[in-house]
Amino acid sequence: MRALLVLTVAGGSVAHATLTPLVTIAGVPPDIPLIIVVLLALRRGPEFGSLTGFVSGLLQDAAGGGLIGVQALTKAVIGFAIGVAGGRLRVSQPLVQVPGLVVLTIAEGLARFALLQVFRFPAPFGELMTYVVLPQALCNGFVGAAFVLALTWTQTMRDHFEGSRP
Amino acid sequence: MKIRKVVLLGSLVAACLLLLTLQTRGYGWVAGDFFAVVTTPIQTGLAKASRATFGLWTTYLDWKNVRAENRRLREEVQELRVRALRVSETDDENRRLRRLLAMQENLPLTTLSGEIIAREWGGWIRSLTVNRGRGDNVPRLTAVISPNGLIGRVVDVRPGVSIVQVLTDPTSTVGAHVLRTRTPGIVEGDPRGTLRFKFMARDGASIQSGDTLVTAGQGGLFPRGIPIGTVRAIDNRGAALFHYAEITPAVDYARLDEVLLVTGDSQRDLTAFFPTGG
Repeated sequence: MRALLVLTVAGGSVAHATLTPLVTIAGVPPDIPLIIVVLLALRRGPEFGSLTGFVSGLLQDAAGGGLIGVQALTKAVIGFAIGVAGGRLRVSQPLVQVPGLVVLTIAEGLARFALLQVFRFPAPFGELMTYVVLPQALCNGFVGAAFVLALTWTQTMRDHFEGSRP
Repeated sequence: MKIRKVVLLGSLVAACLLLLTLQTRGYGWVAGDFFAVVTTPIQTGLAKASRATFGLWTTYLDWKNVRAENRRLREEVQELRVRALRVSETDDENRRLRRLLAMQENLPLTTLSGEIIAREWGGWIRSLTVNRGRGDNVPRLTAVISPNGLIGRVVDVRPGVSIVQVLTDPTSTVGAHVLRTRTPGIVEGDPRGTLRFKFMARDGASIQSGDTLVTAGQGGLFPRGIPIGTVRAIDNRGAALFHYAEITPAVDYARLDEVLLVTGDSQRDLTAFFPTGG
């Protein structure tokens, strides 16, 4: 199980840069590693969330060719925060998941922008939000909801088969 | 427990900030190179795999499209072939009817056009059924012709149809002469479905293969000068009174579709109105 998790997080993060152009929705690529970090943090808590976020962000940075550490930092913080907040929220509702992921993506975008500003990132905030962060936030919301539904369905099926065993 | 979590997060953040600082101070290549060792082979492999997968998928889609297009084109070709056949058939019919009409207008005879609706080709009887009958005032023994020559005569008139005895019928006889030599004789049908010309030996000494035979016009049944056929071979019977010539009919009776029934009488020689080759 752990090996599968490591493979999912590490492989997924590296694969993101390679395979993202193939999985765009209306030209907008979802941030699948972020979705995975959020889902894992919700299930396993802040420590796991922050570690997962750090590793996936680091690999995403390295694979994507940007400043190494930016996404590692933002995703680690997001993973930690959602891991802490997860116990207090009713996150199994799709109505919570979609806006939740939208808000988290925006938060991650804001954090990334703030961090990059420290390192003299030149892109203007308004355009970045309008053309990059907000469309990706919406995309993440829907893809994340689909992920959760798929996971719930898998879990239900597994429980059903385990329950029917003698 | 809580402290441990905060320490962990703090360490991660610190590590990130350290990495970022190092990079902005010009040591970015160290971290970049380190991660490249890990990520590059994975990325290369994934890119190859995705390209292969999507290539396969694209090939499958192309194949599917080609197959569908192939089926559509085959159907289209079939449809066009049928249409071309219809056009060809209509064109052919048009040409035949034009010829028949031109002939009907040119001939100094009263004629009635008719369509063949049945054929009796057994050998005992060789006849055609034409869609003109008692209602069209078709008299019995009416001569039946086509633009190429004589077909036969009406032997039975019924309501709506007439039965035409074809020249190749074994009981059919027509008075004829050779156009070039004026040698008289009788054209008879035989059970094999062929025609033969019976003539007196002394009159037909100079008949040659390829000579055209036309109706003699004696007896008033058939107008004079309608082509019957051409001499294919001569059966010389030595000292016998009559000799025979095998005739190739001027008309292909099996492939006829439209005919003209000669309802009026004509004393004129009609040779000039038919293609006799002479």
